[in-house]
Amino acid sequence: MERMAAQSSVLGDFGFVALVLVMAVGLALLAAAAFARAPARTVRAPPAWAQFRFGYAVYALIFLAFDMEMIFMYPWAVVFADIGVSAFLDMLVFIVLLSAGIAYAWGMGGLRWE
Amino acid sequence: MGIAAALAVLAALLGGAALTHMVERAFVRAGREPGPAQGADLRHALELPNADRLLLPAGPVVALAGVALAMVVLPLGPGLVGRDLGLGLFYVIVVVDFVVLGLALAGWGANTPEGVEACYRIIAQLVAYVVPLGLAYVGVIMMARSLSTVAVVDAQRGLWFVVLQPLGFLLYVATGLMQSYRAPFLEPFAASLGGGVLGVAGGWSALVWRVSLTGVLLVVAAVGAVLYLGGPSGPWLPGWAWMLAKTYGLMALMLGLGRLVRPLSTAEMLALSWKVLIPLGLVNVLLVGGLILLGVGSGA
Repeated sequence: MERMAAQSSVLGDFGFVALVLVMAVGLALLAAAAFARAPARTVRAPPAWAQFRFGYAVYALIFLAFDMEMIFMYPWAVVFADIGVSAFLDMLVFIVLLSAGIAYAWGMGGLRWE
Repeated sequence: MGIAAALAVLAALLGGAALTHMVERAFVRAGREPGPAQGADLRHALELPNADRLLLPAGPVVALAGVALAMVVLPLGPGLVGRDLGLGLFYVIVVVDFVVLGLALAGWGANTPEGVEACYRIIAQLVAYVVPLGLAYVGVIMMARSLSTVAVVDAQRGLWFVVLQPLGFLLYVATGLMQSYRAPFLEPFAASLGGGVLGVAGGWSALVWRVSLTGVLLVVAAVGAVLYLGGPSGPWLPGWAWMLAKTYGLMALMLGLGRLVRPLSTAEMLALSWKVLIPLGLVNVLLVGGLILLGVGSGA
């Protein structure tokens, strides 16, 4: 019984979020329809789809590592106060490892804009 | 019930965005870059001969949807919340990033040199702000023991988290300005890029961008009020009045502080984030962990 109630509440959450999503898209379509007859102004510009050499490739790689770390921190943060010291030490090791990574990237000049 | 609540969420977004726009115009000064607050051409639709037929119009729609979805979990008063999701704060972080996706789609889809350049700079700005922003959330979640926005407000009945975690609050102010593209982090909307994505918007898309970009600032300020200022809780006045005052007070504080610093380039933003903000964020997580182990702010 309890499980069914939990399931229907989850479905309700998804349904409500989907409803807001549909309404927001509808609002944008309404705005587009309202401006359908507005006079248009043409802007000529050269096409710009070309291959660029990025200045931040190393940033993108360490970003991936830290973004994943941040996601792992969320469930840890919720239960932290209940577990206590051992959770603190676990995360300390995790943070030290990643800090070593960022220190290494910094030392190698990876945090420089090219 | 559900439809009325969903309409109320959208009405809150539109009303809040209008008020935000007025606050923001009050901070525009001559000789300073207005950034996303710049006037957009609402009367004329824009024709770009080389643009992508689908990506360019998809941009503002995706961004508006992201902002509207973020409004769902914001508690505007006791019991006044679209839906109290168990994943609340994590959901906000994910959903607001749809604004970045929308800006990138429109910038790339416009296929003008300025638009494509703005697309790259917007993605680089995401790489700069997401990690320290997430770390500013983590300290609050550790003390509230929950991801739900309503539970975070309840956990601050005794004392606001801004008192217990001043470092986290400063981190949030800096990264929140970066997330909402306000000065000094307005490089993707700078005049040197022709206004960035706003320069390739006209008519309906300029209007939808106006709502989305003011909506981002509104969501950033409202989430900040929930995380660090106790959200809609407070004595004497009703909850919605407190939430309104805290949201716009924090917004004015952020815009005012942002005006004191000269605009930073994208490269400087990345350096600031990775060399200063992320180490500070990790220190903040450890500090808050130490406080909780000492029995401070753990609530029960």
